[in-house]
Amino acid sequence: MQKSKKVLLLGHFGVGKTSLIRRFVSDSFSDAYKVTIGVHITKKVVDLPSGTNLSMILWDLEGTDELHLIRNAYLMGTHGVIFVFDVTRPATFQNIQRDLDIIKEKVKKAPVLIVGNKMDLVDPADVKRLLDENDIDSDYLTSAKTGDEVNEAFLEMASQLDA
Amino acid sequence: MMNERERLEVLKDILFTDDRHYVDKITERIVQLEQILHDRNKLSGKVDPIVSAQIEEFTKNIPSTLGPVITATLKDEIKHHKDDVVDALYPILGKMIKKYIAQEMKMLSEKIDDQFSFVKSAKRKMQSVFGNVKEEDLLLSELSMAKIEQVFLIEHDSGILKAGFSKTETIDEEMISGMLTAIKSFVEDAFNKRSQSLELIEYELYQIHIQSFVTHYVAVVISGNYLTRSKNKVQDLIFNFYNKYMAMNLDLVMDLGMGNGEDDEPVTRLEIEKEIAKYFGNAKI
Repeated sequence: MQKSKKVLLLGHFGVGKTSLIRRFVSDSFSDAYKVTIGVHITKKVVDLPSGTNLSMILWDLEGTDELHLIRNAYLMGTHGVIFVFDVTRPATFQNIQRDLDIIKEKVKKAPVLIVGNKMDLVDPADVKRLLDENDIDSDYLTSAKTGDEVNEAFLEMASQLDA
Repeated sequence: MMNERERLEVLKDILFTDDRHYVDKITERIVQLEQILHDRNKLSGKVDPIVSAQIEEFTKNIPSTLGPVITATLKDEIKHHKDDVVDALYPILGKMIKKYIAQEMKMLSEKIDDQFSFVKSAKRKMQSVFGNVKEEDLLLSELSMAKIEQVFLIEHDSGILKAGFSKTETIDEEMISGMLTAIKSFVEDAFNKRSQSLELIEYELYQIHIQSFVTHYVAVVISGNYLTRSKNKVQDLIFNFYNKYMAMNLDLVMDLGMGNGEDDEPVTRLEIEKEIAKYFGNAKI
C-alpha cells in the first residue's frame, strides 16, 4: 500500500534540521552552514515492515526562536512533527514545554517526536544530566554528522504515521 | 312547603333541560380547548400545519407581494446610498466581475490584434531590422502554441500530490507539489488574503495555471504562448476534470452508504491519473 505523509521539522535556528534531513535522505553531511529561508521540501520513500510504502514529504522550515510566528499556512495538513533542539545550546531547549504547547495547539492530532541533535559534540553523560535538570524527555538523541540515531528517529515517525 | 325561589328553580329545571345539556357540552369543550392551549405538543399539532401552510403561501407570494417593495427599496438604496451598496456587494461580486471583465477585455484585445495582423507583420519586420533577430524566428515564437506539459491534483492543506500527469520527465512530482503548495500558501498568507488565491505563476517560457477548489487544487504547467483563449480552454478542462473527480468520489461515498463492504475501495491514484490523461493528454488549447 502506498501512502504520502507531510512531516514538518521545527526548531530554533541552527539546530541541524536541514542536516538531519540531508543525512536521512541522501546519507551525507556538510559542515558549511546555510540558513534555510522559508521552506525547503524533500522526499524519502520508506518501506515499512507492515508492507506500506510511505512517502515522507519532509518540510524543512526555517528556524525560529518564536514558534508562534511560523506561518499557519505551512502547518496546515501536517501529519507529523519532528521538533529538533541542539544539545550544545540550552537556549534551544530551555523553553521546550512552551514550544511543544505551541506546536500541539497549531498542529492538533499529529504525532510529535522530540530530537536532540549534535550529540557528536558533547559527552552523553553531560547531556543526560542537562536534560534531567531541565526535565526534558527527548525521544532521540542524534548526530547528523555521524548519522547516529538519525534513521531511527525518522523511521519511528514513519511507523507512527502508518499506524 | 316550597318557597317561591325553590319553585322557580324546579320550573327552570323543567323548562331548560335541553339548554342545560348544551351548557354541559360547551363547558366540556372549553376544558378540552384549555388543555390543548396549555399543552405545547397538542397545540403545535393543531397550529403547525396552519402556520406551515401560511408560510408556504407567503413564500409563494413573495415575488408578487414583497417583490415590488424590495425592488423599490433596492432602487432607492442604490440611488441614494450608492457607495454603501457597492461596499456591501463588492467583496462578493467584485472579484468575479473584475476577473470576467479583465478576461473579456484581454480577449477583445487579442481579437483586435488578430484583425490588425498586417500591422503585426510590419511590426515584426521592424523588430527584425532593428532587433537583429530573424523574421522567421519572430514568426516562430508568435506561432508557438500553448501546450499542456504537466498536471497536478494536489491536496490543499498538506500539499500531498493526489495524482499527476506529465508528458516529460521532471524532478519528483511530490516535491513539486509540496513546493507549489508552500509558494501558494506563502503568497496567500503573506498578503493576508486567504479568501483569494494564487492563480498564475510565470517562469520564463512556462506558466503554471492554478485553480483552487475547497479541498484540492489543480496546477497545470503550460509552455508556449499562453493567451486568454487558451486560458479559457484550460479553465474548462480543469472544471470538467474536477467535476469528474468529484463524481468519482461521490460514487465512493454512495458505495459506502450502501455498505456491502466489497466495493468500498477508495479511488486509486492510477484511476485518477487515467482521468487526468483523458482530459488533458491530447487537449488542444
